[in-house]
Amino acid sequence: MGGVAVVDARGLGKQYERTCALHGVDLRVEAGEVRGLLGANGAGKTTLLRILLGLVRPDAGRVELFGRPLSSGDPGALAAVAGFVEEPSFYPYLSGRVNLELLAELDGGGPPARIDDALARVGLAHRARDRVSGYSTGMRQRLGIAACLLRAPRLLLLDEPTSGLDPAGVREVQALVRELAAGGVAVVLSSHQIGEVEDVCDSYTVLRRGEVAWDGAAGELRAQAPASAYRLATSDDARALAVAEGVPGVTAVASGDGALAVSAQLGGLDELVLALGSRGVAVRRLELLVSPLEAMFFALTSEQPAAGAGEPRAAEVSTR
Amino acid sequence: MSITVAARGVPASTASRAGGVRHVYRVERRKLAAQTAIRLLALVCALGPFLFVGILKIQSGSPSDTLYGVWVHSSGFAVSLVLLAFAGSWGLPLIAGIVAGDVFSSEDRYGTWKTVLTRGAGRRELFLGKLLAAVTFVVALVALTAACSLLAGVLVVGDQRLVSLSGTLFGAGHALALVVAAWAWCLVPTLAFTGLAVLLSVATRNGIVGVIGPGLATLVMQLLILVGTGVWAHQLLVAGAFGAWRPLLRAQPYYGPMLAGLGVSALWCAGCLSAAWLILRRRDVAGAPVARRQGWLVAVRTVAVLGALVALFAVAGNWGRAGVTAGRLEATLTPEFNNLTILQQQELGRPVPPGAKLNILPGCSRRGSTPSGPGDWVCTMNVIVPQAGAVPFQQTPVTYDVSVQPDGCFKAQSPPAFIGQQLMRDAAGHDVVNPLYTIYGCLNVLR
Repeated sequence: MGGVAVVDARGLGKQYERTCALHGVDLRVEAGEVRGLLGANGAGKTTLLRILLGLVRPDAGRVELFGRPLSSGDPGALAAVAGFVEEPSFYPYLSGRVNLELLAELDGGGPPARIDDALARVGLAHRARDRVSGYSTGMRQRLGIAACLLRAPRLLLLDEPTSGLDPAGVREVQALVRELAAGGVAVVLSSHQIGEVEDVCDSYTVLRRGEVAWDGAAGELRAQAPASAYRLATSDDARALAVAEGVPGVTAVASGDGALAVSAQLGGLDELVLALGSRGVAVRRLELLVSPLEAMFFALTSEQPAAGAGEPRAAEVSTR
Repeated sequence: MSITVAARGVPASTASRAGGVRHVYRVERRKLAAQTAIRLLALVCALGPFLFVGILKIQSGSPSDTLYGVWVHSSGFAVSLVLLAFAGSWGLPLIAGIVAGDVFSSEDRYGTWKTVLTRGAGRRELFLGKLLAAVTFVVALVALTAACSLLAGVLVVGDQRLVSLSGTLFGAGHALALVVAAWAWCLVPTLAFTGLAVLLSVATRNGIVGVIGPGLATLVMQLLILVGTGVWAHQLLVAGAFGAWRPLLRAQPYYGPMLAGLGVSALWCAGCLSAAWLILRRRDVAGAPVARRQGWLVAVRTVAVLGALVALFAVAGNWGRAGVTAGRLEATLTPEFNNLTILQQQELGRPVPPGAKLNILPGCSRRGSTPSGPGDWVCTMNVIVPQAGAVPFQQTPVTYDVSVQPDGCFKAQSPPAFIGQQLMRDAAGHDVVNPLYTIYGCLNVLR
């Protein structure tokens, strides 16, 4: 990719006493890109976001934002950056609106209409005058996103932004992120559940124990993903097992709970269902247990020792 | 509705201005004004003096142990000065603690450091903005207390003349100026305690420690000031500076205590704020939590250092010369006794020639083993009155029990058998305070 990257981090390292939070992490994010930062709890996602927000200095490596080195002496690099780490925090004795007014003042002030716009965008306009102490976790998440929008950022860093949101709220946040990205804003979303971000991310960086376990475009990750896992309940499991043996690319075993555990790509699964119908075996229930991306994510972030930091690890998770 | 996305190119210069001290100051001012504790404190500062005067009004007694306490029914200015003496003991450090003791630790409590530090303001701007906002509120609350105490005193008691600490009278305008100056002076040590509150707030990240810390420190310092007879170690204790205004109320004021208090307060302020800034600058506000063991270690070390400092001051309290001596006490009390006797005679309607001077032979001695230093003294004013006859003069002894404080200010009281009751009837038939019943004064221990 050409041009100046919004984020260009090389060889980042951070040590907390005896714990290595990050080691040799590279990250490059372009304008308009939505990057998923994935990893299990403690993988180093939040530490990486803290570094990008200028809250923590890395022990090793360097970060450039918009082509400018991120250092404590240069506030310019962070001028177009907004975001939050962990849960967004506010003054509980003040209303949501006053909290935003104060944060806007810290950014140099601005027209009050911006605050109303931001509150409306996250669906908090009707509760804007209530004290934050009465907000739910989801409402605080929304307020956190509104606070970010006030800065009109060109880089948005969000730490598990859908945490605590209801399904409708998750969809709204995803739509908002896509809209911002369409306007050229680079977005980094962290999550420990790939299912929450797979509909919105263009690319992923998967962290495991402070190191990059996988890095690339969403399409590449899908291409390297293993077969999905399904739970199949039929009218005759014994015959269904026999039928499955004859379908290429499909593996089926009795799961012990009155159903079969089936591993297959989508095409193979279609063939199996058709074959079962033609042999007189009724399909009573078919559930997706683990999506391909989730299976990939679990494999990448499992606690098995890494073969080499920063290398694609698709081979490790291939089941076929 | 839409979101405006910033134009290409990072506005570095705008960014450095965006979260400047001025913006942080505005934010902190709004935050402080919205806090219930601050609003309650403002209410107490405004209504407290009126409540105090109201209580005084419905009871006949007076807080005579406090400087000017015996005059609270005679002049509204004395009411304000008594309130200032009380406030200096614990009230003003408490105001400093409530306002500044939670300004920084509240960010830790609410987890908002990472919120504010990811906006346009850096740590330096946040530190200065918060400090300025705290100072603004402290000054405003002290000014409110001063104004309300003056208003309550003048409205309820009146703007009568004020007896000086030399036994002379100040007119209403002069008294008003002196009372305002006294309150204004007390801002100096109060700001030093504001610095201490800021340090405690930053260092401990605990609002309770920050709020009550300055009050506790005042208490410890006041106890230390009571220990020992020396002068110099006491000057280093900033709580002592709260009383440095009292020599202003003399006919010939001296300014040594105020100069010393100014220097010590400046040192305290600079030391506390420098330490607070160093701690805040190095703090990892978003990193791993501090290990529990390490936290205890810091607390134990801090307590050990503070304990050693208290012990050092307790020992150092005896270093240097004693500022309170028999000669100084006699030289201060004698002219004051003279002036107050003349005032008493004038109030009783007896003719006193201008510039009249009594022949007084004073004698002061300290109770206890050491002949000098603060504590309990006995002073006898032998008034020599010429008379006709074989004995050319008559000697009338008036004995006072004098309680002298380490800063040289004292209260002298004589049994009614010598000088009459606390109240006497003046020439107009009104009950007034007998000026000789209780004598307040100050002698310069730094001279």
